[in-house]
Amino acid sequence: MNWLRQHFFALGDAFTHLLRSPGNFILNVLVVSIALALPFAGLTVLQNVRPVSEQLAVEPEISIFLKMDVSRDKAIALEGIIRTILKDYSSNARIEFIPREKAFDSLKTKTGLNDVLATLGENPLPDSYVLKMSGFENAMDAGRIDDIAQKLQAMPGIDTVQIDSAWVKRLAALLRILRLVLLFLGVTLGAVVVAVVFNTIRLQVMTQYEEIEVSRLLGATNAFIHRPFYYTGALLGLCAGGLALGLVVLAMQPLNLAIAEFARLYASEFRLAPPTLLATAAQLGLSALLGLIGAMLSVKRHLSRLA
Amino acid sequence: MIEFAKVSKQYSRDVFALRDISLSVRKGEFLFLAGPSGAGKSTVLKMIAAIERPSSGTLTVSGQNINTIRSSGMPYLRRNLGLIFQQQRLLHDRSILANVMLPLVVTGAARSDAEKRARAALDKVDLLDKANAEPQELSGGEQQRVAIARAIVNRPQIILADEPTANLDRDNANKVLAALKSFHGVGVTCLISTHDDQYLTGAERIIYLDHGRIVDGWRDSANNPLRAAR
Repeated sequence: MNWLRQHFFALGDAFTHLLRSPGNFILNVLVVSIALALPFAGLTVLQNVRPVSEQLAVEPEISIFLKMDVSRDKAIALEGIIRTILKDYSSNARIEFIPREKAFDSLKTKTGLNDVLATLGENPLPDSYVLKMSGFENAMDAGRIDDIAQKLQAMPGIDTVQIDSAWVKRLAALLRILRLVLLFLGVTLGAVVVAVVFNTIRLQVMTQYEEIEVSRLLGATNAFIHRPFYYTGALLGLCAGGLALGLVVLAMQPLNLAIAEFARLYASEFRLAPPTLLATAAQLGLSALLGLIGAMLSVKRHLSRLA
Repeated sequence: MIEFAKVSKQYSRDVFALRDISLSVRKGEFLFLAGPSGAGKSTVLKMIAAIERPSSGTLTVSGQNINTIRSSGMPYLRRNLGLIFQQQRLLHDRSILANVMLPLVVTGAARSDAEKRARAALDKVDLLDKANAEPQELSGGEQQRVAIARAIVNRPQIILADEPTANLDRDNANKVLAALKSFHGVGVTCLISTHDDQYLTGAERIIYLDHGRIVDGWRDSANNPLRAAR
């Protein structure tokens, strides 16, 4: 109970000192929030793009186009060989045989080019297989598909093997770079936040020097003296984190308009979604933690000197 | 209760604040530390409060060895002491009541209890009516009495007062001493340093310091300020 009371007192004391110079506090919150807004924005974009990229990477497709002179019986018989090849590579796939007639009908339906296709006279499309690969945990695994494709290409009666994993790999590489950039940005700006809080607490220690000294002489423990500074740092981080998230959400409104226009060109409904509740809580927690770390470092350095 | 055994305090090779001090203070004593400025009176009080540590010798306060006390143990030692400084060291950003409550607040006392006890302490020094005032609104004498209220609010075993009457007129100085004597009356051990000899008359016990040493037989010497005063 006494412990809880001391924490309430420290929190109240932190608020009292912040309210005594609200201008300074607000300016510090602004500086820290600007530093936090950039990595938070990057994280939000990454969170939005990741599910899309994962979905693409998990189910890459291989299209196998047979030669025109391969009979239907031989074409159907190829499924067994395909399964054996997949088994050799410990890969699973949903194998779909697409007869040339079905492909032609689909082409007519989807493109609306009935009249044009009618002028061709005969169906120019070959029989084909579509392999929807599974068991690929991430886009990195996509490299394995190249080996499978080579084996499939070597089968008799195969004209072309087309893999859709190349651009998935490119996207994965791009996301890896984005993650690294974000990590670098996060670490750098996290250090900026710690430094700003460190300096804020240093100034506060100097301002409250007399109070700290007197409290020590009256029997205050180090924990009692340090605690309000810890709360101040954490509060600064928390408020700045909240403001940074608010800025990110605000910036998403005009950005989403532009993204919507771009996505429409690819018949996509893709939009940037605001951070989830869990992500919001995590980012606020991280902001408070950075503030706390800055405060702890500052207190350790400046109050130990006073002691 | 307080035991100095050949205690010295040396700041540098040639600068000694105290030299071989041996002194015993019993529980409930009312003791003056007298002597000119720079005699070492404040250093004695600072050592008892573990603000300074002996360079040599042994100092024991309420059974705790000040030479070896850990920094984590100091707050608990100080909670049994009432410290009164020459410059009262009141916090000017809060009320008189909040200043007096501070020694209780740092121990984690409930706010309501701390306020009740702080008001009682202010009442003892006749300053209850100034509870909501700010320190700068009070005279020097009143501020010193607030410092006394702050020193006694946590019911300490020992009061250490460093020049509590300095900068006060005779009337205010007498009020401060009267307040300290009233706490001595209920069993509190009091150590008061002063360079002002006029307050030593009728003192129960006086330790006279000069150049960091206790001067033995000073009562009979020509330097006895009390004899000179007579």
